[in-house]
Amino acid sequence: MTKIDRSKASGATRRTVLKSAAMGGVLAAMGPFAHGARAQASKRVVFATWGGSWEKAMREAWFDPFTKKTGIEVVTVGGNSYAKVRAMVEAGKTEWDVVEVNPDFQWIGKKDNLVEPLDFKIINASDIMKMPGLVTDVSVPQVIWSKVMFYNTKAFSADNHPRTWAEVWDVKKYPGKRTFGQRTSSAALEAAVLADGVPMDKLFPLDVDRALKSLAKIRDHILWYDTNAQGEQYMTDGQAVLGLVPDGRALSAKKNGAPIDIEYNQSLMSWASMVIPRGAPNREGAMQLLAYCVSPEGQYNMGMAYTYGPIVQKAYEKIPKDRAAILSGGPQQQGKYVMTDEQWWGENKDQVTEKFNQWRLG
Amino acid sequence: MAATRAAGFTRPRAELLVLPGLLMIVALFLYPLVSLVGISVYEKGDWTLRHYQRLIDVPAYVRVLQRTLIMGAATAFLCLLLGYPLAYRIATTSGRARAALIAGILVPFWTSLLVRTYGWMVMLNPQGILNKALISTGLLDSPLILINNTTGVLIGMTQIMLPYMVLPIVAVMVRLDPALMRAARILGAGPVRAFLRIYLPLTLPGIMAGVLLVFTISLGFFVIPALLGGTRDILLAQLVEVNINSTLNWGLAAALSTLLVVTTLLLYAIAHRYFRVSALWGDIR
Repeated sequence: MTKIDRSKASGATRRTVLKSAAMGGVLAAMGPFAHGARAQASKRVVFATWGGSWEKAMREAWFDPFTKKTGIEVVTVGGNSYAKVRAMVEAGKTEWDVVEVNPDFQWIGKKDNLVEPLDFKIINASDIMKMPGLVTDVSVPQVIWSKVMFYNTKAFSADNHPRTWAEVWDVKKYPGKRTFGQRTSSAALEAAVLADGVPMDKLFPLDVDRALKSLAKIRDHILWYDTNAQGEQYMTDGQAVLGLVPDGRALSAKKNGAPIDIEYNQSLMSWASMVIPRGAPNREGAMQLLAYCVSPEGQYNMGMAYTYGPIVQKAYEKIPKDRAAILSGGPQQQGKYVMTDEQWWGENKDQVTEKFNQWRLG
Repeated sequence: MAATRAAGFTRPRAELLVLPGLLMIVALFLYPLVSLVGISVYEKGDWTLRHYQRLIDVPAYVRVLQRTLIMGAATAFLCLLLGYPLAYRIATTSGRARAALIAGILVPFWTSLLVRTYGWMVMLNPQGILNKALISTGLLDSPLILINNTTGVLIGMTQIMLPYMVLPIVAVMVRLDPALMRAARILGAGPVRAFLRIYLPLTLPGIMAGVLLVFTISLGFFVIPALLGGTRDILLAQLVEVNINSTLNWGLAAALSTLLVVTTLLLYAIAHRYFRVSALWGDIR
């Protein structure tokens, strides 16, 4: 009898203790955080970024000067995936104020109602280049950048290397592996269509079947990379002699002494975008930050800090000529690129990826 | 007195000890699993089977599932081939030699998957360490293509999964009474027959456990095929990843995941029916 009573009593006590301890722990952990976050909200903007050297450049070109001007601190966090934006917004717990994304998210995010409309009374978008999709009611561009043909300088010289995608497809004249990104956003399909003779201004809407047929011709000569770093590596150590990568990647590899050079002809221009996720704690501050990023001053700063190109023509007025010549969309690239139809991609990525996978399985 | 009290104290409530584990499984495993299935059939306030319809309509999905199962089975087979002799060696040595062998298995096991995968890229590429060595010693004229194809994926997966095969087999082998083998030999069985009739059947539970572990875990790989694979090397988890992170098609991602879970359970049921796998987990009737 006593035994049972004892166990019951002690069990109950233990349970109660555990329960209150757990509750206390949760409250203690949440309390100050929740309050602190709210109190500071108006004085800081949380920016979700791709990180790396790009984040450092943004800090230098945008965040620090912005904080000096407005007193609003910019806090960066990594892991800016679409999935996280969606998870946060749908849970009603948005922690980010600005997210940098690929342009397809301008449409994907809007369709799924994950982004806030922008206030163009605060953001002056009138200086931004006039290109379709560059500015939408939920997004502004950061910079333009392109995917370019690059080649190994031990295999080919500046005088004798492929200058068109059709030549890249000529595996007899230019033997060796070609390296392309295995995600559909890598522009391999665009290159394939151009190689097949579609003129640059007729590239979109992309003829996916034609692209895959064209790609099939060099199927056994392709080394797929998963990350840009991997593509750069294939080219640096000579496993691949030709390929397609983001220009920033090729430029930094070249600067670090890799046997790599760029051919700007038939390059594919795109941009990076910024959105404000729905329910962002500091919408107001976020708008101000976006306004600074797209201002001629912010764009000039970025042109000096990183090799991605300004989206504001005025920024070029102050950028020195030799600097301008390595920026995406700079004078060296004029007339040689085609703009990627990102809206088309935003609306078709799903089905294209499916077709592409089917093609890969062969 | 003290002993009775202690026994009386714990016994009536012993089943409660299951509770924390059970709660954890329900909260962290069953609930997410059910919501996952939910995401695949319920969308924007409506019930739908369109994601499953798509899995049927687009042949790529079934083919990727097939490929995923085949790769899982091939990995399990290769791990068994390499792992069984290794396990035998570990089980039959002792002291420092055993410690060294186990460390040899566990140190790579604790190393980051990404680091090891990059290691393979350095080792196996046509201009890599392995091919250079083979060519400079005159063993080969032209490099072996061991990467950016299915071979590369299998090499990477086998290395990573090997401990899951070796450790359960070792656990069974060390419990075997060595006298059994001696008895078999004394009774006239040759080494092969003694192995096939005595040793192998007795270590079968370890083999089954290892094969099941390796096979099921292999079904979820996506880093290795993405980095070491070639054009054809797409596994199911890669499609899930793209649909979650890139196209935000969570319904399809959930349907793909459900498909994988259901297929795995079906295979488990078949294995259970024919090989009584459940005996491994202690259900010996």
